[in-house]
Amino acid sequence: MTPAIAIRSVRKQFGAYLAVNDLTLDVPEGSIYGFIGPNGSGKTTTIRMVMNIILPDAGDIRVLGQPVTSSSRDDIGYLPEERGLYKKMQVRRLLRYYGQLKGRSIADLDPVIKHWLDRLRLTEWADKRIDQLSKGMAQKVQFISAIVAQPKLLILDEPFSGLDPVNAESLRDAVFELRRSGTTVVFSTHDMSTAEKMCDRIFMIFRGNKVLDGSLDEIQAQYGHDTVRVRTTGGAAILQGLAGVESVNDHGNVQDVRLAGDPQAFLRQLIEKTSVQQFEITKPSLHDVFVRIARPTADEMREPEVA
Amino acid sequence: MRRVFTIAQTEFLALVRTKFFIIGIVAMPVLMGGLFAFMGYAGKQVDHKDRTFAVVDRTGALFEPVEAAALANNAEVAATGASTGPKVFPTRIDPGAKTDEELTVELSDRVRKEEIFAFVLLPAELMDPDSKLPILYYSQNTSYERLSDWLRTTLRDAIQEVRFSRAGVDRTLVSKLSARADFSTFSLVEKRADGTVSAAREVDEIEQFGIPFFFLILMFMAVMTTAQHLINTIIEEKMSKISEVLLGSVTPFQLMAGKLLGIVSVSFLLSFVYLGGGVYALLQMGRPDLINPVLVGWFLLFLVCAALMFGSVFQALSSACSDLKDAQSMLQPAMMILIASYVVSVLVIRAPDSTMATVLSMIPMVAPFAMMIRLTMPPGPPMWEVLLGLSILAASTVVVVWAAGRIFRVGLLMQGKPPNLPELLRWVRR
Repeated sequence: MTPAIAIRSVRKQFGAYLAVNDLTLDVPEGSIYGFIGPNGSGKTTTIRMVMNIILPDAGDIRVLGQPVTSSSRDDIGYLPEERGLYKKMQVRRLLRYYGQLKGRSIADLDPVIKHWLDRLRLTEWADKRIDQLSKGMAQKVQFISAIVAQPKLLILDEPFSGLDPVNAESLRDAVFELRRSGTTVVFSTHDMSTAEKMCDRIFMIFRGNKVLDGSLDEIQAQYGHDTVRVRTTGGAAILQGLAGVESVNDHGNVQDVRLAGDPQAFLRQLIEKTSVQQFEITKPSLHDVFVRIARPTADEMREPEVA
Repeated sequence: MRRVFTIAQTEFLALVRTKFFIIGIVAMPVLMGGLFAFMGYAGKQVDHKDRTFAVVDRTGALFEPVEAAALANNAEVAATGASTGPKVFPTRIDPGAKTDEELTVELSDRVRKEEIFAFVLLPAELMDPDSKLPILYYSQNTSYERLSDWLRTTLRDAIQEVRFSRAGVDRTLVSKLSARADFSTFSLVEKRADGTVSAAREVDEIEQFGIPFFFLILMFMAVMTTAQHLINTIIEEKMSKISEVLLGSVTPFQLMAGKLLGIVSVSFLLSFVYLGGGVYALLQMGRPDLINPVLVGWFLLFLVCAALMFGSVFQALSSACSDLKDAQSMLQPAMMILIASYVVSVLVIRAPDSTMATVLSMIPMVAPFAMMIRLTMPPGPPMWEVLLGLSILAASTVVVVWAAGRIFRVGLLMQGKPPNLPELLRWVRR
């Protein structure tokens, strides 16, 4: 099966800044693919190259089996990070406009618009202007604007950020509905638990390089079973200075501890010092993996994102 | 191409719905018309009141003529139903031994008590042709000119009359002899193919200044109206990442072409409304001979070029900015060029066949204004000059739109500090 997106040895440089370095990536058709990575690591640049908004300096990108041209983009839906709507336009007019720009006729668009407005409980807002909508509603309209042309590939940049749980849930359901109907979905997120729950595969880019690519199981296997979750009377303080402790992720009542050595030896040390209520050998969460990769350069992460 | 039209249509509707445009196209003429109508109405209303004024006549010869003229005036006012002005009632004040200062103080008090509306002091020296002493008119309401105007003409006539008769000269003879010859301006006569000679037409102010100014202002308005809208929408699209959505669907070229097509259509709509108004006005004035479809054709040609050239520059420059404030300072030079082109073209009206006018109408930015003016003023520039000016303009428009397209493409995705001129030029070359 041809991948929905096939990126081959792609490179993009802005002046002296290397945004994407020799990236190769396949996004299988029908999958939900998560793009993660710190700010400024190359996610948006990669997405923009897939959208043919900017061109790679080297390498080749194929989308839905074809080289990206402006006409092949008619089958790609794209939702940039936050906003992206005309404030003064009415919801229905805006959705029609975005659909027409993808080459669809109003006759084709209207049933789709109706379906999604109903589905996301926005029907009564169809003739209101965008600036009369709440932030959550505007974000849902924005989501519809990306899928109104019924794309085969949907690219979402941070689709769930800033949504309340109810709205986030309805967008998640919508994404699953699209996937069931055969749409390939790529989305970038900073929310690791969302990525863990929703994505079939996860891709992480860091300083322009691919550092993770695979299913959650594969990634967790790669990073080993070296994390334990403990709940003790002593709390986080007791963990300081124990042999084999590499880092502690303190959640308050429970702590995730990454170990360099044998978990059993660590448990023996712990019992000697305090009373243990919970001790669980876990797989590292995506969050832990992310932090492990990105932490050494926390200072550099503060640099603003480069367009 | 269909997408270009979709964008153009959306831009067109968005612009036409803005308050700015609605005010410009509908409310302005209505407001102006309403203002004129009100001024005409108000002007007539004020004049119904009778005006009583005092006359201190130290010449001893002027009160009688003024009184006679007042009676004649009042009779006319009564006959025409007060449409020509107020009734006037002079009262004679005997100066006695009082000085002018005492009199003015006393009479000023009477004006303040509203016993009289105004008063006029006539020094004895008025009758002496060598004296330069003026007639002195005092009123609380100096901006009310009906009475002072009436007094000025009445007194001047009366003084002349007295001076002539004292010098023993027949006044009617003098005015007959000193009558000025009329002077009429005509356009040239033409010998038609059938041998008859066309009648020379009299050239009046409408033809001489009205028509050129009309086209000049309309050209400027049509370009200016769209400029602010372009800047606003592009900055909005950039700030709210709409441009990224759009570029995910259409190429920068399609986007820019759509926007340009949209604003050219708006310029045309605006022009048609005003051209229609102009034709209507000429018909009302009984001057259908001044309606010239060829001029309208030239106007639209030059308008397309002007709208495309200035529009694409505004577009490119605003695409390079991230907020309205940056855009305003960035666009200032371009605005200045547009306004300067408009202003220097006013000079062309004074001398449409001068070397300066010819040179100005060859400069691309100025040509839409300057050449348009020359075209409106008979006999008009030679055809080759018009075509040369238009070709230079069209060629520059193509180059400017192309360069603007290159800047637009890079600028739309730029965030942060707006670029300087060398950077902009680098974007064009890249």
